[in-house]
Amino acid sequence: MKLLLIEDEKALATSIQNYFQRENFICEWAADYETGIEKVNIYRYDCVLIDIMLPDGDGLDAVRELKKKFPETGIIIISAKNSLDDRISGLNLGSDDYLTKPFHLSELNARVQAVIRRRNFQGNQQIVFGKISIDPQEHSATVARQEVILTRKEYDLLVYLIANKNRVLTKESIAEHLWGDDADLMDNFDFIYTHIKNLRKKLMDKGAPDYLKSIYGVGYKFSES
Amino acid sequence: MKLLARILRYQIMTSLLVLFLGAGLFFVSVRYLIDDEVNKELLNSQIKVSWQLRNIDALPVYILQLGDSLQLDAVRYPRRPILREKLLYNIAENQYHPYRQLIFYERVEGQWYKVTISKLLVQRQQLMNAVVMTVTFIVALLLISLLVLNSVLSGRIWRPFNKTLAALDQYQLEKHEVLKFPEEETEEFEKLNQSVTQLTERLATTYQNLKEFTENAAHEIQTPLAVILSKIEGLFQDETLTESQLIALSEVSEAANRLSKLNQALLLLTKIENRQFLAGTEPVNLSPIINRKLRDLEDLIDQRRINIKTELQPTGPVMHPALAEVLVNNLLTNAIRHNLQNGSILIALSTGKLEVKNTGNAINGNPEQLFERFRKDTSQSASLGLGLALVKTICQVNGQTLSYNIENEWHVLTVTWQ
Repeated sequence: MKLLLIEDEKALATSIQNYFQRENFICEWAADYETGIEKVNIYRYDCVLIDIMLPDGDGLDAVRELKKKFPETGIIIISAKNSLDDRISGLNLGSDDYLTKPFHLSELNARVQAVIRRRNFQGNQQIVFGKISIDPQEHSATVARQEVILTRKEYDLLVYLIANKNRVLTKESIAEHLWGDDADLMDNFDFIYTHIKNLRKKLMDKGAPDYLKSIYGVGYKFSES
Repeated sequence: MKLLARILRYQIMTSLLVLFLGAGLFFVSVRYLIDDEVNKELLNSQIKVSWQLRNIDALPVYILQLGDSLQLDAVRYPRRPILREKLLYNIAENQYHPYRQLIFYERVEGQWYKVTISKLLVQRQQLMNAVVMTVTFIVALLLISLLVLNSVLSGRIWRPFNKTLAALDQYQLEKHEVLKFPEEETEEFEKLNQSVTQLTERLATTYQNLKEFTENAAHEIQTPLAVILSKIEGLFQDETLTESQLIALSEVSEAANRLSKLNQALLLLTKIENRQFLAGTEPVNLSPIINRKLRDLEDLIDQRRINIKTELQPTGPVMHPALAEVLVNNLLTNAIRHNLQNGSILIALSTGKLEVKNTGNAINGNPEQLFERFRKDTSQSASLGLGLALVKTICQVNGQTLSYNIENEWHVLTVTWQ
């Protein structure tokens, strides 16, 4: 998979690049609008991440141009602006998703994967991890062809964990993924623990190995080893 | 005390003083003139009487005018003539009347006579009456005209002033208003209005600048925060970290996350205050929003075993849909956060009113203080303390009223709109 990141903040760009490299994605970086447009015109990308506040141009223009020339490329807007109007105009222009700074890299990763899955396979592709397979259209999960009945939150959690497999996920990022803006309601992270516990139990009941590793004080890691 | 009433008071006091002084002066001067006239008449009479006495030796009956009297008394020696005033008793009318008397001495055939001519001072009394009546009349007229003038003045001339005052009374800094007034004829009021306009202009600009600064500051913080959070997340993936390093890192991460949340909430708050959210154009039905939020918050509600009851009618205020979301979200999360284990929440939505009631611990002090920013119950440390401040601000910019009441164990937050 090939990504393009148009972002003027070098430190943030490096982090994002590193994160995706571990995912075996090629993540190219353009530091300004000019370079970004140039690259878009030369190469083909599966997904473009655009900061709409660039020093030399409006990222929304880039979205517009990209949409016109390469409608099949996925677009995710990253912005420090949470302004609703921006969000709506960004999505109206055809961007697939909108993420407000600051965000968790794991969240970005999950969204990029969702966009690519939707774009490349019209959402039909099964997500497979070890013995687990997920049908994103049906919102259902199976372990060795046996259906696992999951609640909405457990399903979201599972997809998120698989999207960020082999990585340490912080409790905050999980909480924010599951509850969004309400995440600050979590007076403690017991809720996550409950969901994790239930999910693990349901998966293991159907014969899946224990993929979930708890990392003390930090969060969780979903991996086969 | 009203300015006009104060002025009126001085006006009345001064006019009364002037009137009475004037009346006194008038009385004295007229009396002097009359006395002078009477004296002249008396002296004329004296000449007549003397002439008669000396030359004719007998007094005709009607030598003097009717009402005057002449009296002759034989005396041994003459004295200096006297001109005096005296009250004489009138038997017919049974009362005293003032008389002016001229007493002089005349020798007739070697005998001295004391001649007393008395003249009734009827005019004087009439004059007194006239003066008193006139003064009373003028005083009454003056008072009435002053009062009428006063009410006319306060109604008409002071109207622009009262208008300005009313506008200032209604003035709200948060609305970024500049007060403008129509041109006034009165110079002072025109100046006042100009000053008020300039003042509110300066206020609005300063307030706007301040808000913009807050927003920009919060905005600028987002990017470095994003860098910090991304670096932390990158570090977490480093498998060479020891457990204690991981824990320290996780604490850094938690704090940075909290900072980011706080910043986002502040940004939203200033954004709403800056009226960057478009005003709503049509009523937003709150009922589906409430139901959706309740579904989103389901696991929190279940975990605390909170019993939810709703009475929802499909209605809502005119506002921006995004703000309606934030409003509902904050009201509900507040009701859940400050609830008791096994508590209850009642949500009632009806025309012009949304009421969220929840069970909760008693709070000290004025519940309305909870609308202040960062005001929070210390036991709920995860709270940012901005939730109700946001609700309050949203209500403010949309012209809704928000009230917080405590009825027994129930905490009641009510939003009302037109």
